[in-house]
Amino acid sequence: MPSHGPAPSDVVLRTVGLTKRYGRLLAVADLDLEVRRGQVYGFLGPNGSGKTTTIGMILGILRPNRGHVELFGLDARQHLAAVLRRTGAVMESPSFYPHLSGRANLRIFALLSGGVSRRRIDEVLDLVGLLGRAASKVRTYSMGMRQRLALAAALMHDPELVVLDEPTNGLDPAGMREVRQLIRNLGQMGKAVFVSSHLLHEVEQTCTDVGILKQGRLLAQQPVSELLQRGQALELEVTDAERAMAVLRGLDWVGELTRNDNRLLVQVPPERAVDISRVLAEHGIYLAELRPHHNTLEEFFLEVTGGEEPL
Amino acid sequence: MISLLASELLKVRGRWLPWILSVVLAALLALTIFGPYLSWRGSGTQSLEEFEQQSFVLPWSLAAILDTVHGVGAILLAVVAASFVGTEYGWGTVRSCLIRGQTRPRYLAAKLLGLAVVGLIFLAVAFALGLIFTLVTTRLAERPITLDVPAGPSPAEVPLMFLRTVYAVLPYVLLAFFLAEAFHSTAAAVGGSLIYTFVEGILLAVLGGIGGRAADMRLLFIGHHVNAVLELNRIGVGPIQAGFVLRPRPEAADLLDPAQATLALALYCLFFVGASLWLFQRRDVRS
Repeated sequence: MPSHGPAPSDVVLRTVGLTKRYGRLLAVADLDLEVRRGQVYGFLGPNGSGKTTTIGMILGILRPNRGHVELFGLDARQHLAAVLRRTGAVMESPSFYPHLSGRANLRIFALLSGGVSRRRIDEVLDLVGLLGRAASKVRTYSMGMRQRLALAAALMHDPELVVLDEPTNGLDPAGMREVRQLIRNLGQMGKAVFVSSHLLHEVEQTCTDVGILKQGRLLAQQPVSELLQRGQALELEVTDAERAMAVLRGLDWVGELTRNDNRLLVQVPPERAVDISRVLAEHGIYLAELRPHHNTLEEFFLEVTGGEEPL
Repeated sequence: MISLLASELLKVRGRWLPWILSVVLAALLALTIFGPYLSWRGSGTQSLEEFEQQSFVLPWSLAAILDTVHGVGAILLAVVAASFVGTEYGWGTVRSCLIRGQTRPRYLAAKLLGLAVVGLIFLAVAFALGLIFTLVTTRLAERPITLDVPAGPSPAEVPLMFLRTVYAVLPYVLLAFFLAEAFHSTAAAVGGSLIYTFVEGILLAVLGGIGGRAADMRLLFIGHHVNAVLELNRIGVGPIQAGFVLRPRPEAADLLDPAQATLALALYCLFFVGASLWLFQRRDVRS
């Protein structure tokens, strides 16, 4: 379901009818999604909705019961080694060899990935702010430091697709901000980024596209910019809210109306602001404030998931 | 594959387990050689000729050293194998490795190769240490350092004796490897291997004692085939078994044909490797 007609070669990740069952539990159901080059795709869903299971199937560590994953246009199952070399990933709760240093851990993963120099290892350690602690054993690292090390491991071989499962888990606010910036930069560099998160504002600030998963089913998938512009509205503060409601209800070009004290939320295109102001003034109702209402991802999320919180 | 092997060896760096187990094996080897020597020194009554065929004087001590290297080494290397595989599941690093663009067969092959390198070094160092100990006791007993005794091994046969011992260790190590892969746990693999080793020793003795069809059932056990292979190490050694061995030593008439036993051990090894790969290929790797 591409949202803006991509060239086929732009599609880096595609899942087709991906389904995973654990006994009688349907963890992921018939999932179709696409991620393109330069896209930062936010994968949102409540806990247990199947986000990590989906990522496991994308990375080949879980076997789907039905459907398949395509990476770089190739069937991931048949060409797993080749496509994973072009992919970097941070799994949920990143794991390392605790008795080894951060640098030694990266060297192990570099040997598995192939073609990563020691200099590049130090570069990515520097990028995630761990160069100063690179010689310390991982068992002495905090959760946030492990998360940073996992990011370094994911990026060190300069992958074309970056898959991140809750990448800001355990980070302090400054670290979260840095990681968000890093994710945005990756998208700007033309890489495809697939990031699962339970933090709505994080996805809103970071991602170009969003997919919302609930009970293993993809409920919605569209560009964040379109989603935030959907159902445009104006927020008004008026001198007489009750009369204003009555007047506005009489206009056929006004959609849904919501009142909170003297404030009204009017579902109407922003270019109708002048008309609203004029009509109300004609009825002796004056505006104290009028501004466009910005939809949030949270509103959209609650709408499509039926009010379930992401956490 | 070389870079994969390098990654496996890098993982071992800084781990205490192989070092601790090396110390245990070294201590037991010291006991194997110096124990009988001190006993002989303390007895003051028995002639060295009565003692020398037991353990501490070259070349007879070679069999005792290799018995210990096998008996103890198999258990300790099973612990190492279980830890090699099990801790990766415990730490969750299997996932981290598999998402780096390696196929599962290659990953498993690298693990087996890494284990082979560590195991070979472990057993070779143990054997060398045993040789050093017996050189000391042979000299202390004022006996000639020589292999040249009636029915003694030739110098070329000594490395062959060591390789035979290594080969006989393999099935136990691969059993532990398979159990760790099956249960995704170090503890289960170590426990399973130890239980098998001890129960096998008891059952071989019991079934051998019963005789008849019950004795034939010993063919199902690794240890029965190992006995036949290791018996070839007894060139020039008398009937007494002096090393740390958990299996009863069978009567000569009870021994299998060494070639047949060698093949049977190879089949055990193939089964454990094949079953490990089959399980690893078809199962999900969860956190």
